[in-house]
Amino acid sequence: MSKETTTLGTIHISPNALATIAYHATLTSYGVVDLAPKNLAEGITTTLTREPAHGVAVHYNGEEIDIDVHIIIEYGTRITSVAASVANAVRYQVEKALGMPVHNVNVHVQSLHVSDSE
Amino acid sequence: MNPDVQARLERLKLTPIDGQALKKLIEAGLTWLRANQQMVNALNVFPVPDGDTGTNMVLTMQSAYNEIDHLGHRGIGQMAAAVSQGALMGARGNSGVILSQLWRGFARALQNHEILDGPALVQAFANARDTAYKGVVRPVEGTILTVAKDAAAAAAQALAETDDPREILARVVIEADASVQRTPELLPVLKQAGVVDAGGKGLYFILEGMLRFVHGEPLDMPTATVQPLSAMNMENAIDSIEPGQDYEVVVDFVPRETLDLQKFYGELEKIGTSIQVGEGEGMYRMHIHVPNEKRYEPIDFVMSLGTITKIAMENLLAQMEGIDHKASGARIELANIEPGQIAVVAASPGAGISRVFASLGVAAIVEGGQTMNPSTKDFLDAFENLPTEKVIILPNNKNIILAAQQAKDVTVKKVYVVPSRSIPQGLAAMMHLNPDGETEAVAAKMTKAIEDVTTIEITTATRSVDIDGVSVEQGQVIALVNGKLAISAATVEKACLGALAHAHADDYELITLFHGEGLPTTETNRIVDVIRTAYPAQEIELQDGGQPHYQFIISIE
Repeated sequence: MSKETTTLGTIHISPNALATIAYHATLTSYGVVDLAPKNLAEGITTTLTREPAHGVAVHYNGEEIDIDVHIIIEYGTRITSVAASVANAVRYQVEKALGMPVHNVNVHVQSLHVSDSE
Repeated sequence: MNPDVQARLERLKLTPIDGQALKKLIEAGLTWLRANQQMVNALNVFPVPDGDTGTNMVLTMQSAYNEIDHLGHRGIGQMAAAVSQGALMGARGNSGVILSQLWRGFARALQNHEILDGPALVQAFANARDTAYKGVVRPVEGTILTVAKDAAAAAAQALAETDDPREILARVVIEADASVQRTPELLPVLKQAGVVDAGGKGLYFILEGMLRFVHGEPLDMPTATVQPLSAMNMENAIDSIEPGQDYEVVVDFVPRETLDLQKFYGELEKIGTSIQVGEGEGMYRMHIHVPNEKRYEPIDFVMSLGTITKIAMENLLAQMEGIDHKASGARIELANIEPGQIAVVAASPGAGISRVFASLGVAAIVEGGQTMNPSTKDFLDAFENLPTEKVIILPNNKNIILAAQQAKDVTVKKVYVVPSRSIPQGLAAMMHLNPDGETEAVAAKMTKAIEDVTTIEITTATRSVDIDGVSVEQGQVIALVNGKLAISAATVEKACLGALAHAHADDYELITLFHGEGLPTTETNRIVDVIRTAYPAQEIELQDGGQPHYQFIISIE
């Protein structure tokens, strides 16, 4: 799915490129305060480099595209509603940019962020 | 103004706003939002009919109100906290979550207050704004957030001149209205679609409902404002036909002078019900239901105001009979499932499509499609009573897949969701059903089959928009190939032919067309003949789908 053949040659779209789209769609979703590193190794990489799409993983599974986003949600919002909105936004923005269907968007709520301590 | 209302207003001015008064205000906000729900729903940005911002906000407010409905005397702080709690628990969709955050901030500012005075109200609006903005890293302006921000600013400004909370609310409502009107300037996608932001408009209706309650104005009929022509929802008006109203009259006209809306509505209310007025391209459209003997009155009345360009009159009783007839149409014979067999549950938008699914061996049908997504509960109800543990669900629409998956998560039965995103995909999957097979293997086979079919959906654009590089005018016919906007055309015929060419139909063998409700039979047959001539090598089949909104759903295999 990352490959499309045209009369001039083939177009490859790297998982990283898609991850950037998903990352921006996630950050503009209401209720998301940040994305979370997927694991410790990524946490360290993120602090060392400035990866444009931390917290997002894109997998090509044969013909299918699966996207995992790891998010931190604002404390006090309804978590299921926020997560559903994120899944919708990511799917819509990626499909719009790519012109191909996305198979699965998995949202992982890694932690909650408490803005005010009451 | 009648003396009763006058007296009530005087009393209200003197009564401090306590918890009970807040309850009344919340109820008023909810009632008014619900009265205008369809209008908010119509403000969706994409050219397929599926907006539900209004519904989500109503459900969120309803949950907030349910939380306080039974509460007796409470201070404003406790009452507001209960509102916030209810809104949080019932938050639906993006706009609902933001609304619940607004209430959370609002309540927090009042937590130690017994009554609501001017300064407290201003503080509550400010806190609502701050809390809502904390919920997002990159706030998008031109949305409900902007309207909340402008409302808070207006409240702060009003406090310099008055400390009467009712007066402050009045200023807030004026500014919220202006702020909603400005949203297209801030958010290009709104401007492109020619609408204002739906969430912002919903918030405005809640605030306006509260103010209308304070002013003693009625809350049960929709606002006497003009809506964009594209937002007029005639189909829904049919659902609420009152006895004695026999005719639907729609008149397009150009008024000689600026229309005094309040007066215009007032006159129309004397003649009939279900009044809607739309505006666009320098003309107005008036919609009304009237009794038989008054059917020419609205026309005479409008004629006195300006030039009539078009009149449409329809006998509602005949329409109603049509609806009844449809409902009682031929019964659908669903497959009987023996214990141990696999039962398939399919979502279907129309009677004809349900019949086709039934003929292929579906055990239960859940009604729903693009505009009315069935809930998780609908799915559970459909399969919980079937005498088997093995269930496969065909959602047949991408917006329904989630509900289907949730049904799978909450039941003890062994459920697989085959993620079909269109009717043709669902039907293709049914071809591979083996009710006596092993569920997982059968589901995998069915899932694989949905890739083998190309889906074309033909519908009418509900507004003008540019998407995926295709330019669409409102009212044009558009074709979606595998869910993606492919072409726009002036007629259904051109849209069908264009989409078939776009999908390379001549490389396939079978083209099946499901025609929707509303397309006349002669027109359907004519279009199918044209397609037969254009694709002589392919087998063409026509089925009565009965789905709303889509003139044709076409499957290519």
